Amino acid sequence: MTKSTQLTLVLVLLGLFYLFYEGLWGNPRHIPTVLIGTDAPMVEGPDVETGEMISLEQFKGKVVLLNFWASWCYECKVEHESVLELHRLFKDDPNFVMIGVNYQDKLPDAQQYLKEYGTTFAHMRDVKGQLAIDYGVYGVPETFVIDQQGKIRYKYVGPVTGHMYTKITQEIIAPLLKGQPVSTPS
Amino acid sequence: MLMMIRLIVTALFILSTPWSGLAEVQDETLLDIQVREIAKTLRCTVCQTENIWESGAPLAQQMRGVVRDRLKLGHSPEDIKEYFLSRYGDYIMMQPPAHGVNWFLWAGPFVLLLGGGLFLYKEVIGWVRRTPASPTAPPPPLDEKARQRLEHELES
Repeated sequence: MTKSTQLTLVLVLLGLFYLFYEGLWGNPRHIPTVLIGTDAPMVEGPDVETGEMISLEQFKGKVVLLNFWASWCYECKVEHESVLELHRLFKDDPNFVMIGVNYQDKLPDAQQYLKEYGTTFAHMRDVKGQLAIDYGVYGVPETFVIDQQGKIRYKYVGPVTGHMYTKITQEIIAPLLKGQPVSTPS
Repeated sequence: MLMMIRLIVTALFILSTPWSGLAEVQDETLLDIQVREIAKTLRCTVCQTENIWESGAPLAQQMRGVVRDRLKLGHSPEDIKEYFLSRYGDYIMMQPPAHGVNWFLWAGPFVLLLGGGLFLYKEVIGWVRRTPASPTAPPPPLDEKARQRLEHELES
């Protein structure tokens, strides 16, 4: 076996080991999205609590945080306090809006959830699942940040707690509200 | 006369009803076929290697609903696939589109098979060439003492 053949063999094996490593020990929450930098779908749906229609169209020109959740979702309960804290942090900024999107849920269950855990912002219902598909949602919780130009700037799959809370508040929303560019890897 | 009119109206009703019903069924079946054909090409994003036609997951059901709604609105199958691609990327397709890095997915197995085959062929040929034609070398000559002992044992 020549040296070049041995080298090729080693490189191929290393490549295969890398693929196995990524598949088995990579971050399962990292799901590449094609939506970053694209126009946010202007979805609308009835308010979970009042039934009045909420449309993203009415929040054009603001930084919008969309949080997909469901009452049956354990990780949504895990992130609930952090999400409320996030809203408390930015709610006084007139250029910030936060909307919850209730996904694959029964209305009474969703209403009971909000009553039990509390809320300080509006939540729209995704009645037929169309909103979630428009945003390429895989499951809940998923969080999207939309900039003032109506472009999706960030997406996160999983509970917004700990370092993700810090990242979203300090590295994504705060700079966007100041009109600063953000680096937003998917 | 009145009897005759009643008969004609009844006959027309009987004749028209089944045909219109059948037309509806045929339309529905055609739509179902189209939904199925498109749904089979789209991956259920929350399942393991299942398309949205076969999956029972709520998201897959909703995706089938979106396919049906868009077909009813007159969208073509290509438009519908393009819509899902724009939301979920190449991952949504059961067969990844053949472009960019996806070529590795399509060509990779064949390249590995060809490369592995060539490597194996070269190695086997090398082994064959390195192996001497006569597998056994002639034995070393016996010394006198060993030859006498051997003869003695053969005679006894």
